[in-house]
Amino acid sequence: MVLKRETSWYKDATIYQVHVRSFSDANGDGIGDFPGLAQKLSYVQALGVNAIWLMPFFPSPLRDDGYDISDYRAVHPSYGTLDDFKRFLSIAHERGIRVIIEMVLNHTSDQHPWFQESRSSQNNPKRDWYVWSDTDSKYRGTRIIFLDTEMSNWAWDPISKSYYWHRFFSHQPDLNYDNPAVREEMWNVMKFWLELGIDGFRLDAVPYLIEREGTSCENLPETHAIIRDLRKRVDEQFPGVMLLAEANQWPADLRPYFGEGDEFHMAFHFPLMPRMFMGLRLEDRKPITEILQQTPQIPGSCQWCLFLRNHDELTLEMVTDVERDYMYDIYARDKGMRLNLGIRRRLAPLLDNDRRRIELMNGMLMSLPGTPILYYGDEIGMGDNIYLGDRNGVRTPMQWSGGWNGGFSTADPESLYSPPILNPVYGYQAVNVSSQERTPHSLLSWMKHIIEVRRSSTVFGSGSIEFLYPANHRILAYVRQFGKETVLVVNNLSSAAQAVELDLRRYKGNILIEMFGRNVFPRIGDAPYLLTMGPYQFFWFRLRRI
Amino acid sequence: MAEETLLTDDCVRQLINVGEVDILIGLPTHNNSRTIQTVIRAIQTGILKCFPRERAAIFNVDGGSQDGTPELVTSSSIDDVWRASKVFALRTLHAISTTYGRAPEPCTALRTILAAADLLQAKTCVVISPDSTAIEPDWVQRLVRPVYDDKFDLVCPIYRRHKFEGALMQNLLYPMTRSIYGSRVREPYASEFALSGRLAADFLANDVWNQEWGKMGIELALTITALAGKYRVCQSYLGIKAQSGRAANDLVAVMRRTAGALFGSLDGNYAFWSGISGSEPVPTLGTQPEALVKLVRVNRKRLREMFATGVAHLEPVLRSIVSPETLTALQRIATLGINEFDYPAEVWSKTVYEFAAAYHKSVINRDHIIQALVPLYRGRSLTFVLENRDDSGEKVEKREESLCGEFERLKPYLLGIWPDRK
Repeated sequence: MVLKRETSWYKDATIYQVHVRSFSDANGDGIGDFPGLAQKLSYVQALGVNAIWLMPFFPSPLRDDGYDISDYRAVHPSYGTLDDFKRFLSIAHERGIRVIIEMVLNHTSDQHPWFQESRSSQNNPKRDWYVWSDTDSKYRGTRIIFLDTEMSNWAWDPISKSYYWHRFFSHQPDLNYDNPAVREEMWNVMKFWLELGIDGFRLDAVPYLIEREGTSCENLPETHAIIRDLRKRVDEQFPGVMLLAEANQWPADLRPYFGEGDEFHMAFHFPLMPRMFMGLRLEDRKPITEILQQTPQIPGSCQWCLFLRNHDELTLEMVTDVERDYMYDIYARDKGMRLNLGIRRRLAPLLDNDRRRIELMNGMLMSLPGTPILYYGDEIGMGDNIYLGDRNGVRTPMQWSGGWNGGFSTADPESLYSPPILNPVYGYQAVNVSSQERTPHSLLSWMKHIIEVRRSSTVFGSGSIEFLYPANHRILAYVRQFGKETVLVVNNLSSAAQAVELDLRRYKGNILIEMFGRNVFPRIGDAPYLLTMGPYQFFWFRLRRI
Repeated sequence: MAEETLLTDDCVRQLINVGEVDILIGLPTHNNSRTIQTVIRAIQTGILKCFPRERAAIFNVDGGSQDGTPELVTSSSIDDVWRASKVFALRTLHAISTTYGRAPEPCTALRTILAAADLLQAKTCVVISPDSTAIEPDWVQRLVRPVYDDKFDLVCPIYRRHKFEGALMQNLLYPMTRSIYGSRVREPYASEFALSGRLAADFLANDVWNQEWGKMGIELALTITALAGKYRVCQSYLGIKAQSGRAANDLVAVMRRTAGALFGSLDGNYAFWSGISGSEPVPTLGTQPEALVKLVRVNRKRLREMFATGVAHLEPVLRSIVSPETLTALQRIATLGINEFDYPAEVWSKTVYEFAAAYHKSVINRDHIIQALVPLYRGRSLTFVLENRDDSGEKVEKREESLCGEFERLKPYLLGIWPDRK
């Protein structure tokens, strides 16, 4: 089945991020796979999301959880076959779920045949497919991203006796996008998957495609030209396919990635996410409103992608030093929780497993301008394991039930790709899909409900936003408007009950209808609209003139 | 219950928006438009630099300014601080204002500030004078930290002054407070101080607000209450205290608020202060700065004339206040020329104690007693200037210590003439 080719489907979507390896193991080898994922699509559908984003599933030595790709046109044997992928894709589409896959453009694994050829001799035809140098002194103005593991962006290759450029791990050499052959081949890779019917790409690490001396080697005009070219090809040959940028940058630096609506359809709003956590803990809307004030307008066809947590650390690259120190002290007192410039924890543990705070954060995620992305397991409040290396602590097996391996796999527990969470608070016996599906007030049931409510209105995906600034700074309030529909959102960031007076005079005469219970609140008059709110409570009100 | 009557509905509405705070900075004002923005900027910078994570608010309590002072407070923006000094704010920093009347009443202003601090559960409440134009952002930290981090209940300031500045403090308020209440608080009557939420709440519930001496000198009453209540008191070095021209020109009013309040405090605290002998140092935080070196003009001739004239004209009044021996000594001093003029520490200490006892007995109208003290204080000031004219800060300090010793030595004399003695 092919889903209707709506060109802006992503604006009203709710995306569910999944790692094939972590979701469900159908063949009992201890590793999640496409057949397992396909079996669980009924769950994904019931959750209410309408798109799924798969982390890399390509053949890879898995030294960076699949972001080190060694073959772009196949499926990692642990996850199944290309036919398994096609079956999964077909079922997903039948269930109305679009599929976004990962495309790591910037670099390959050092095990990729291209790199093996490239390093084999300085005269090899693929030598210029990567960035080589006789010295490690070029591009000195370029920051190192993985500060905890890498000392330089150059690595010495003993085979070809020269240095190669890598912005991430040294086993991930950067492709040379100045080479037209590389650009053409990467398009061919994308076309391969597009022809299978996928609905979008999340393009990894896009700011780093091009290097130029005397620059930061990020966000260069030549990089934008490459993206515009890819977008043009996509629009011409595969209309309706969405391109999502992974570019951890300030909003002003991100804005060019939308171009004039001719580069990316969507981009992650990285700076907003840590500030949501910060605002919650400070009990102050300031960090959130400030960053959104600094967020430039984007073309009408484009969209921000919002998230609370994902497979990476909670990145603190896009915050000030004062903010970073605060975040570390509040959310990562244990140094084992810190990685690079971030915090490697899941949503529920970050919020002390406080259901009210989890709901409030999801409420903001679903109501701020953008398309929300949910990270697998966060909908049931899964925990993490900071004693696993790198970011593996937030990539543990999905917890389906309280039974064997949490219902993830029938394999011996020792053979699982990762130990499941076992502790009494977050372990699979306490936190799992099966038990939460049976409880109407579980977090899972609540998540289904809020996704459903969000889907009941296009205002959240496509509407404008206007912040109200009530004198009570613990209240984050905004009006979303699209067409004739207006929704008022009021969030109490405080752990205590709050009274707030909202200036709603411009909506005088409207009554408020609370969107979750559909209860009617008093009509707006000339006087400030007084609301009293419980700790971490939030309201979504539909404004109606009756 | 105090806050229910003190805080207007509008004020309460503003406080609701501020919510619970860690630090509340109180700014009592009256027509301070010339200086208030400098002070606010320093406070904002101080908070953002030193307490970026704490919940803080600036609370202006205005006594009916006609020059737009409250508007200047509420319109102050921390964005300006960011632009000026690149200090980043994590939080919202509220600056709110309320008006309590049409004329400044320090007692009402402080009470309102403390009521707000109590309502907002402030851990630390700081009061800063709106005309402290020499304020530096660091003052905020020096006042707040001892309460917030070290759990002191009251932080009194020590200013960096010229040796001739603060003569009233050095000749009367400090030595007498020290001998009476047994603690060496250098600025017992301060316009900048910090107090804990606990002391704020307790002091708010204290009856001193309704007593005459409390109304006269509420800041002194706060210090005395803290000392008498065994709260943890410390001192913190601030910086240069800008002198308010208004205060210097109205010595009688100043004496009323300070000496009058100090004398008045003795009425109800006899059981406490009568048992104290000697004095103890209080913890002092920070580094003692050098005394200011600048040209300070003192009209010595005029001081001597005012003293001599006062002693002569007020003789009938003085006769009802001081002992015959003291009166004779004063009259003798009044005959001395400018070069040999000397109002010795012993005579001065006895004079002050006799005035305090007369004040307690209300031998005449209490206000007249304070007025009669003014020319005598001018004579003591002249001696203070003459004694210290050529001396370094260290020597001035030694002489100050000697004066305090005299007050302490003569405390039994005060007890002897005090009518409540058992």
